Amino acid sequence: MRTHKLALVLLLLICCWTVTAAAKDLSVIEAVLQKVDEQSSFPHTDLSAVLTIITEDPEAGLEKMVVRYFRRDDGERFLLVVEEPRTQRGQGYLLEGDNLWFYDPSSRKFAHTSLKESFQGTDARNADFGQWSYSSSYKVVDYTEGKLGNFAVYIIDLEAVDDTVPYPYVKLWVTKDSNLVLRTQEFSLNKRLMRSGLFPSYTRVGQGVIPTQMVFVDELVEGKKTQVSLSEISTAKLPDNVFTKAFLERANR
Amino acid sequence: MFRVILKISARNVWRQKKRSFLLAGAIAFGMLVITAINGLTGGVVDNLRVNFSHALGGHIFISGSEYLDGGTIVYRLADDDKLLSALAENSAAIASLTRRSQAMPSLIFGSRQAMQLVYGVDFAEEDKLLSSLVVTAGSLADVTSEQLVILPRSVAERLGVEPGETILMRLDTLTGQRNVGEFLVIALIEDQERYGISAAYVNRGYLNSLLGLGEEDYQALNLFLHDMGAADAVGSSLRRALGVPEPKRLADVRGMDEEEAMAELFGFSRVSEVEPWEGIKYQVTTINQIMEPVEAAVSALKTIGLVIFLILLVITMVGITNTFRMIMIERTKEIGTMRAFGMQKNVVRNVFLMEAFLLAAAGAAVGLAVYGCAALILGRITWDTVPAMQFFLDHGRVTLDTSAREVLLNLFLILIMSLTAAYFPAKAAAQLSPVKAMSSNL
Repeated sequence: MRTHKLALVLLLLICCWTVTAAAKDLSVIEAVLQKVDEQSSFPHTDLSAVLTIITEDPEAGLEKMVVRYFRRDDGERFLLVVEEPRTQRGQGYLLEGDNLWFYDPSSRKFAHTSLKESFQGTDARNADFGQWSYSSSYKVVDYTEGKLGNFAVYIIDLEAVDDTVPYPYVKLWVTKDSNLVLRTQEFSLNKRLMRSGLFPSYTRVGQGVIPTQMVFVDELVEGKKTQVSLSEISTAKLPDNVFTKAFLERANR
Repeated sequence: MFRVILKISARNVWRQKKRSFLLAGAIAFGMLVITAINGLTGGVVDNLRVNFSHALGGHIFISGSEYLDGGTIVYRLADDDKLLSALAENSAAIASLTRRSQAMPSLIFGSRQAMQLVYGVDFAEEDKLLSSLVVTAGSLADVTSEQLVILPRSVAERLGVEPGETILMRLDTLTGQRNVGEFLVIALIEDQERYGISAAYVNRGYLNSLLGLGEEDYQALNLFLHDMGAADAVGSSLRRALGVPEPKRLADVRGMDEEEAMAELFGFSRVSEVEPWEGIKYQVTTINQIMEPVEAAVSALKTIGLVIFLILLVITMVGITNTFRMIMIERTKEIGTMRAFGMQKNVVRNVFLMEAFLLAAAGAAVGLAVYGCAALILGRITWDTVPAMQFFLDHGRVTLDTSAREVLLNLFLILIMSLTAAYFPAKAAAQLSPVKAMSSNL
């Protein structure tokens, strides 16, 4: 009987130690996430770039899209205007805080849409072009250390804190030395892998960094993936009227 | 006198059998065409209404939406007091209820995908649905498996999937989170994409789990009525009880753009105009609202049929006029003789008119008889080999549904036009002088 009691106390002690140790480690990872978010946001500068989006779809074939990209994190705003292909020229997205508008020049109408939606039928989401915020949207549930190619990384398991994000579970590969997200895996509510993201190259922009190449792989549709490349990246101050519906209506007219 | 006129007229019609046969035959053909068009369109509308109600799962459809904090609108219903009391008020008219969930997921098979409306149904309570589906491959014998899907044939062809294979369903939960389900295709069914009904069917409990609903939750409450004809009245009663405004009719939204028209017809709010609300906002739609565009198309078809009928009648009437002019010339001496024996002018005229009446009545009767025989024969043939036609048929059979009002109207038109066509030759015959007529060389 005494032996049993002793074993139980020991077990409890081990559990307490494990939980404490885990909590400590998670706080380190939470700090890493905080850094990831901080260096991917640009609160004091504007950002503009040209996005070249190439989608490989086994049914539709190869499709190329060129999009002009303007972003101002102060006020959570971005504007995307499609320049190519000609059939979609002038279509655009305007984010104003919580509201994301889609503009179609053929109907000259704005329609409300969501950051959770796919961007123009590609594997990229509208949210991929806005400010990231892993630390506020997700909580760390586990992590391991490992290697991705030559990079030492944290492999972090995240769980959404509420239902405002499209993917309730995310796995991140973050470099230990520079806090860059190199790879992501996004899972459905029933924990099935839905989308993978690869971020092989970054560029420093002011105080932050931005991926210059992003590859999103649809893990459900065989052979479907989208590559997004950023060029002509600039942090020059943008006029305030860029982030307006009127600008979107005039763009490419 | 009437009997004498009838006897002479009948004798005249009978003695020129070939001519009478041709005239009555033309009238019979016209009557057959218009009655057949009316009967076919009437039968098609009835069958579409019944088949649509089975496919959609009811005669009246109640849905509801809630506005959540953060601006998310979720479509779900609950058995709340307001809804239960509205149903209790109309319980005498309601035959059965079905509860459905629905989603517009992306169906994925290998490297192919297709967007498709999917209904989550309780197969145990929807026996009418199962009996109305036209299976082109696979079987509906076993619908007990939780993760089954019944797919429209066209969608299965797009995906390249066959019964026995598994597909993925990518969808969003009610709050917009991504989810995936696996479904075994058990059967392919015929659908009618052009009429807006192209749905796949899955088990409601499993779909609910993917949508983030409870197993017993639902998004649409569908009511089957004892009498489908009462759909509008019961719909209005439910709207009053649930605080839903009466919807506009198709005629009221002409000239509006598609978005505005849909908002007015079915109460869909335009996202840009959404104002927050508390509790469940209900929508009540009847099968008649859904059928209104189909009925408008059928009504246009009936109008075209009537125009063709009138053209046929005019051609026939020209024939009748010419024939009666010829008859008048042929019978000039006979008319003179009858007039010499004391027959009054109006009797001569009435003999002619009676002949026209007999021809028209006989022609119409023959036309109706042929229509009746055709209806009997067609009603016994099962057209199982034409799956695309099933929505227009009653269990694979053509049904002809003509109202007595339409038949009487067509009969009236034929008689009036025949009498009008014969009137002027009849009048001319009545005006003949007996002396001149008897001395005529014709």
